Amino acid sequence: MILVNYLAAVALLCIGLYAVLTRRNMIKMVMGLSLMEASTYLFMISLAYRAGSTAPVLLNPPPGKSTQSLVHGNVADPVLQNFCLTAVVIGVAVTAVFLSVVVRIVQHYRTLDSDRVRDLRG
Amino acid sequence: MAGLAVALGIAMAGIPREHAALPAVARYAMEVALPRWGLTEPVNEIVYGTRGFDTFGETFLLLAAVVSVVVITRSREARRGYFGESQAGQREQQEGDPAKPADAGEQEARAAERREQDDPAYGDPRPLETPDDEPLGTPAPEMAEAMTVVTRTAIRMALPILAVAGLYLVAWGYSPGGGFPGGAVLAGVLLFIYAAYGRRRIAGVVRPGLLEGIEMAGASAIILTELLGLLLRGSFSANWLPLAPPQTILSGGIAQLFSASELIEVGTGLAIAIFALIGMGHDWTPDETNSTGESNSTTSQGGGES
Amino acid sequence: MTIPALASLLPLPVAIPLAGGVTAPLLARVSRRLTVAVSLIALTGSAAILLLAAPTVFGGRVIAHYMGHWTPVHGQVLGVAFAADPFGLLVALAAAIIGGILLLYTLSELGGLGRRELGGYACLFQLLIAAVIGAALTADLINLFVWFEVAALSSYGLAGFFLERPIALESAFKLLVLTTLASFAVFIGAGLEYAQHGALNFAQLHHALAGHVTAPDTIALGLMLAGFATKAGLVPFHGWLPDVHTAAPGPVNALFSAIMDSIGVVAIARLVFQVYGTGSTPVLGLLMTLGIVSALLGAIMALAQDDLKRLLAYDTISQIGIIVVGFAAGNPAGVAGAVYHLVNHAAFKALLFLAAGAVVHRTGLTSLSQMGGLARSMPVVAAAFVLGSLSIAGIPPLNGYVSLSLIHEGLQQDHQTIPYLLTLASQVITAAALGRAAWLAFFRPRGQDYEWRERLRPGMLTGLVSLGACCVAFGAAGPLVLRRLMAPAAAGLLAPARYASAVLAGSGPIPVLRVPFDYGSPAELASVAATVAVAAVLAWVYLRIREPLPVRALRALHTGSANDYAAYAVTGILAVVAVLSLA
Repeated sequence: MILVNYLAAVALLCIGLYAVLTRRNMIKMVMGLSLMEASTYLFMISLAYRAGSTAPVLLNPPPGKSTQSLVHGNVADPVLQNFCLTAVVIGVAVTAVFLSVVVRIVQHYRTLDSDRVRDLRG
Repeated sequence: MAGLAVALGIAMAGIPREHAALPAVARYAMEVALPRWGLTEPVNEIVYGTRGFDTFGETFLLLAAVVSVVVITRSREARRGYFGESQAGQREQQEGDPAKPADAGEQEARAAERREQDDPAYGDPRPLETPDDEPLGTPAPEMAEAMTVVTRTAIRMALPILAVAGLYLVAWGYSPGGGFPGGAVLAGVLLFIYAAYGRRRIAGVVRPGLLEGIEMAGASAIILTELLGLLLRGSFSANWLPLAPPQTILSGGIAQLFSASELIEVGTGLAIAIFALIGMGHDWTPDETNSTGESNSTTSQGGGES
Repeated sequence: MTIPALASLLPLPVAIPLAGGVTAPLLARVSRRLTVAVSLIALTGSAAILLLAAPTVFGGRVIAHYMGHWTPVHGQVLGVAFAADPFGLLVALAAAIIGGILLLYTLSELGGLGRRELGGYACLFQLLIAAVIGAALTADLINLFVWFEVAALSSYGLAGFFLERPIALESAFKLLVLTTLASFAVFIGAGLEYAQHGALNFAQLHHALAGHVTAPDTIALGLMLAGFATKAGLVPFHGWLPDVHTAAPGPVNALFSAIMDSIGVVAIARLVFQVYGTGSTPVLGLLMTLGIVSALLGAIMALAQDDLKRLLAYDTISQIGIIVVGFAAGNPAGVAGAVYHLVNHAAFKALLFLAAGAVVHRTGLTSLSQMGGLARSMPVVAAAFVLGSLSIAGIPPLNGYVSLSLIHEGLQQDHQTIPYLLTLASQVITAAALGRAAWLAFFRPRGQDYEWRERLRPGMLTGLVSLGACCVAFGAAGPLVLRRLMAPAAAGLLAPARYASAVLAGSGPIPVLRVPFDYGSPAELASVAATVAVAAVLAWVYLRIREPLPVRALRALHTGSANDYAAYAVTGILAVVAVLSLA
């Protein structure tokens, strides 16, 4: 059933992509890219899941399991959770730079419409 | 668009799902986390140990982003010598503006700005301390510096809890190693103070020079941590601190040191970025509502208009 | 020094420029000269360590190091690996050395900046160079992605640096949109690969993919190729390149074209040759198509430009296209030629952009129609520009001749006549474009004279002279460089199984590759002469006629709107994935 998660991530990605491709308001384009980032988080975390597993934490294991059984048994993949952390940090960083660039563009061009911010063409 | 959805859908259907075995990296991380590092959280062991080099690169990713934000939001400084780019820039600005007719949205915005400046109710130049000082019913209470007494009290109560929580995430958590979220929480604490009390209270702490210095110190500490691994143990991210029993504050060897430096770097970095964005001025373009050619450099107060 | 000790030093060339970047903002508040000095020391140190490893690696070995001593267990790689094969080491050396020259040039040209600005600028510059070195040396997919992102974030700040130019910010926005889309593509591709095989190390992936390549694997390859092609600047992912290069300062343009684009090319080469292998998917044909389209489109658009730096940017697209064509030839001559052209491109494109940047910086003029007669006021800059143009045209004994001849030979060996002819056509148009630019900017007599004479600071002069010397040296010593540097690099790329076993074992030999090269081959010399002649005629004709319809149509396609460029990029991603999966 984790396939549902994957398809949901793909759907979110496509919605975000639609916003980036068709919306002319630059803030909406930034929001579309944020939505795409969120879909990659969902994708990574869903990839980490294993059937019948628990979180990869060795402290206070859930009733019925010991630390040893967890180590040799089935937990969700911690490496992919590391990737997701990476992606979150990247997302924050890029959104910050994006928004500062958009504010500066508005100061110069006085419009949020990306169709009117087209001095460089050809 | 539909094609992309189809392609990704096929890919999703093809990859192994929850019944697949755990990859070797993951299994090995579980096996060594407790005995070799003394950490009860394999995710931290992976972040700061096995794949510590990725986290090392990530630190500098955030540093690059913060420096980029600072560069883009900077105010004008004195320059020496002739800069052809400034000439080109001035020429482009002048060519840009008159050539394009203002559209309806822009004209509405400018009319609203003018109304705001002419209206006597808006015109009081003295910034209010808090909205509590004004009589009820005055327009635009948001132009005050700080917030109402309710908000201020609530934040004053929540702040110490949040600050301690952030430090706890780093020092303890499930076991040492919550540098990134701890940093985010501490930046949030600074934001809370700014939101409740206004810019003047925070200006003493949020000085760009001071914060940048601390951030670079954190980043240097991370480089040193990894380098000492090279010097003392012969490999770049190797552990060179003695291990302590799990669930104590010193367990995890360099994971704790790395994570604490990460806290400093991420926290100050995010704070610099946020406050740079908030305090962005209007230095670089001439503002047509003022006299032509005058550069208009106002930094925003609690409200945020220039 | 023993090989394991040498290998353990590999992360240092990345860490030292990072340390330099970290200290730059603080030093800049104290003294500008101190910033320059510390940055140069950092890059020199980095290059020195790379040179230390050079004799071993270029002698035909791959050395690998696993961070934190997390060596592989039963062929499963646990940690992050840094592997120096000749190709990666060559690119890292080029980045460090040319990056050092550029750093000296830029901090001397822009030495008049305010203190805080200069600190931020120096920091971002060094972070970008460090990221390129890291990406060239890494052998791990997610680590490659992390350095890719560090380079991208540094480039955003550098692209929008001169805030008084509105086009700088506009171009920074387009760069942001396209590079973010590219990073998503790479990230999802890497995630798919990890889910499929549980491995991130290139060597381990090679063994896993050598057996059987499944549908998610090809989709992942398509996504990652598309993402890295955006960074490299291949058509149709190239929307950001011309805009960013128009607006950024000259040395930043040189940095982007020469060094940052090579991340994309290095990543594509590694994925195609060393991870996936060329036999399992029609990826070489795809790369050939992308390369030729980029070469032609870049050349034609360059001919039509009025802005000097934009013209050079389109020429970058064209040259990267030729490099990819060389890789797509797949045989030793083609691959060696492509690697050679990558290094040459770094040298001559940096030279051209520095010259163009100097013109903008001193005169404030950006469009060719307003310039003219600059050769009298700026003789050294004019000489640099002419030298760079001659190198691109492929005139012996400069460096372009050697690499282009190798690529031609590679194409001819496999009887790929149509790509060969199209490559020649793009070279002709490129040479015409550069000739036209040189004439309009430097040699055309101008009505009024400029009031001042050139005053080059010593740092700038050193930069221009050393890059020019590189162009000449790499051309005159062609066969030597080929035998010592480029052939081992090509050998590493074309022997993926040896690379994989070397990385897993920590070190291993790669076979010696003989790439025959006839320096004075009459066919090549004849084609060079013909190219130059036709180019001169084309330039002369183009200066006089109005813009022809196909060119006008192409220019209309480049609308300048971020949405449109994003749409082209997404269509490109889809096309790449479709071609790889369905063919």
